[in-house]
Amino acid sequence: MLNYNRALSDEKSYQDLQIKEVQPTIKLIIRGKKREFFAAVGKSLNMLLPTKPNTSSQGEDLTALWLSPDEWMVYSNKTVRNDTNEYEIEKLLYKNISKLNLGAITDVSDQFILINLKGDKVYNLFESGCPFNFNEFRKKRGSVTQTTLAKIDVIIHNQNESDVNLFVRRSFAQHLFSWINDSASRL
Amino acid sequence: MFLINCPFCGEREQSEFKAGGEAHIVRPKQPTELSDDEWAEYLFMRKNIKGVQLERWNHIHGCRKWFNIVRDTTNDEIKAVYKMGEKPPI
Repeated sequence: MLNYNRALSDEKSYQDLQIKEVQPTIKLIIRGKKREFFAAVGKSLNMLLPTKPNTSSQGEDLTALWLSPDEWMVYSNKTVRNDTNEYEIEKLLYKNISKLNLGAITDVSDQFILINLKGDKVYNLFESGCPFNFNEFRKKRGSVTQTTLAKIDVIIHNQNESDVNLFVRRSFAQHLFSWINDSASRL
Repeated sequence: MFLINCPFCGEREQSEFKAGGEAHIVRPKQPTELSDDEWAEYLFMRKNIKGVQLERWNHIHGCRKWFNIVRDTTNDEIKAVYKMGEKPPI
């Protein structure tokens, strides 16, 4: 139930940059390789998993991020109720995939923090602490990358040119947030 | 510092990767029948070439997949990248 506790103490706003934690949201890691696996996931989620590297696919309720040739992260587009940590979608996937030995489903809702960054200076912020080249990434809506930001593992999802979702492990969230504030104050 | 073209994610910086040592070292089929010297040879002895070397790398801060590269150890030039299980192109 950690997902219902805020990892970040507050929201911050700078010129052309707003930072806030979005919670609680569902986050699942899905792994599998078989052809039946893709069919079963497609049927359960009502959307296809992206097979092209560094891309994502978006459905009405869920977004699927490509992490590796056999690994995806699925997260909910909207926040969910905070009176239960059992999710229909996880149960459905567990029944259709894990039970049939097609792949693996792991609930990482508590493990990852979703931080939303908005504004024209998002990529200026990333460039101040990231080895990844964002030139192509920022132009393409829905692109995804796993990289390091200030040496911390992050997953970055480009929702729109100036609206980016960033996933970071809970134990690193405070540290990353203080780095973001430090860097953003000097952009 | 150099760039590595991950066969799964594309070109990324070296700091996202972890070096995994020499590639294509075959594990002996019958370890129990080896002498201690032969086992140590397999376990510890590496070529450490000055020049073109076949290496294993892991994209640890990205897709977490292993792959092989052909690297010149004198100038860090990467000649080729190929997936696990494939024959070295050079």
